[in-house]
Amino acid sequence: MAILRLSHVEIKVPDLELAVAYYTEVLGMIETAREPERVYLKCWDEHQHHSVVLTYSSSYGLAHMGWKVENREDLDHYTARLEDAGVAVKRLDGADVGVGGGSVARFETPSGHQMELIHGMEQVGNLLPLTNPPPKPLGLVGIAPPRIDHVFLTVEDVNRMTSFLQEVLDFHLTEQVMGDDGFQIATWLEVSHSSHDIALVTGPDGGLHHFAFWVDDWNDIRTASDVLAYHGVRIEINPTRHGATRGHCVYFFDPAGNRNEIFTGGYWADPDEPPITWTESEMGRALFYYDGVVNQRFLTVHS
Amino acid sequence: MGILRLSHVDITVTDLDLAAAYYTEVMGMLEVERDETSVYLKCWDEVDHHSLRISYAPRVGFGLMSFKVLREDDLSDLENAVGRYGLPVERVSKGASIGQGESIRFETPSGQIMELVHDVDKIGRATGSLNPAPFVEGLRGIAPPRMDHILVTAEEVGEATKFYTDVLGFRVTEQLLDGDGHQAATWMERSHSPHDLAIVGGPNGGLHHFAFWLDDWDHVRRSADILAYNGIQVDVGPTRHGITRGNTIYFFDPLGTRNEVFTGGYRPDPDFPTITWTEDNIGRAVFYYEGELNDRFMKVHT
Repeated sequence: MAILRLSHVEIKVPDLELAVAYYTEVLGMIETAREPERVYLKCWDEHQHHSVVLTYSSSYGLAHMGWKVENREDLDHYTARLEDAGVAVKRLDGADVGVGGGSVARFETPSGHQMELIHGMEQVGNLLPLTNPPPKPLGLVGIAPPRIDHVFLTVEDVNRMTSFLQEVLDFHLTEQVMGDDGFQIATWLEVSHSSHDIALVTGPDGGLHHFAFWVDDWNDIRTASDVLAYHGVRIEINPTRHGATRGHCVYFFDPAGNRNEIFTGGYWADPDEPPITWTESEMGRALFYYDGVVNQRFLTVHS
Repeated sequence: MGILRLSHVDITVTDLDLAAAYYTEVMGMLEVERDETSVYLKCWDEVDHHSLRISYAPRVGFGLMSFKVLREDDLSDLENAVGRYGLPVERVSKGASIGQGESIRFETPSGQIMELVHDVDKIGRATGSLNPAPFVEGLRGIAPPRMDHILVTAEEVGEATKFYTDVLGFRVTEQLLDGDGHQAATWMERSHSPHDLAIVGGPNGGLHHFAFWLDDWDHVRRSADILAYNGIQVDVGPTRHGITRGNTIYFFDPLGTRNEVFTGGYRPDPDFPTITWTEDNIGRAVFYYEGELNDRFMKVHT
């Protein structure tokens, strides 16, 4: 009975065909459905219909993010909690939800992000049989991560949005960067035994800092970087390590300017574990452990 | 709600000092506490008091498997569920077990002693929680970050599995079916992992192995180096499982309990469709590269 994990992100792109080419050929996702202004994609090991939706738009950025809940009753439970917290919730079912279906509860977060909780999205299966499957399919193209991992947002008031996620939606705070003034500069929260499913950093409300795909290990980060360089994709941050979450990562931009990350590592957190705290003076290492300096471009560029 | 993950494993050993030396110097666990008969150990990245308890006994064996539940209420809910199933449940009061609070214990239909616990003393990760480095310097041996899963033996795998799924809420991610369509082995999870608990055919009450998590395949290689350097008997590996897709090495502690180091796998949701392996594919199911089983792996357990 809870929010299970990040289900999907809907990303705005001004050139749909270019974005689809990038997400299928460089990222190596699989196209599962197409509408005139929307293309639905999944990673090879994901069972559900889509984890990324590309939407034609005059701009770029995050249209909405979806979070999978375990049971249908969770939608009622969180709708009540959201309404008690003064958040208006819109409930949709089946065809009204769009391609992939399911039942959703949609709302706007205090930070101006469009968020939905979803149950029962169509399952299309991963690329392996359910009887005697090999450990992975051959012939995948591009980076081909097995799954989406987390989303990182910019918000004006990190404290407020962090409390909202904790108190209304039962997210668990794993790490925080505390400013010398006592306010949270950045926070990492999880619902799935992971180091983070969502993270927040100080910036404009409604902004997307990046969304990330999971790969198995550090060697796959190297292979991903090879694929990016080969295709001429601009790598923003070379393969490195985070202090916060301990993950290994590489950052780059899709052709529309939305930041992507390939991520691995981290740890297993129980829901009752107290958070790790980073002080402002150590923020450089919190973000990039090897460099140890605060990278202003990384903190200010978002979509 | 319900069971969160494997909390700790209790085993008995005939030489406590030898076993403690192996688990600290070769496996690289940290000794947390010791009394006259037992040593309590944790991995460096574990928050809780211990994930392994080794106790002296005249014979090598399996004490119990302890699983952590998410909420205090889960203990009484699961106590009732196990009671309704018809098994006697013992309440172990706070203070009776080192490093943890109240727990419940019962013998499962497959003869293992199972414990459920909520309140475990928190020692903290070895990295600390203020501006922590991402690793700890100077660890010895394999130094896995944490315990991962346990595999036990049962005469009636199907019946044993049904208890874990119907009464305790485990979910079957994979199953190996024999030629008659009966479950010969099952893998079950509670924690977004391919397995927290698995059952394979064998005597009731047996322990096949318990496993530690590693970061990646490169860590598997370094573990093989450390095992060979220390003259530890390797059972199988490094290799890969078809089932769970994990990368693995099996080996024995100096008293004969099988250990595994494991990484990889996938991240199932609770509605994950069960993967089925048929008997004619049993070799690849268990050891994907070899495509066949070895007798020792199938027969030796504690």
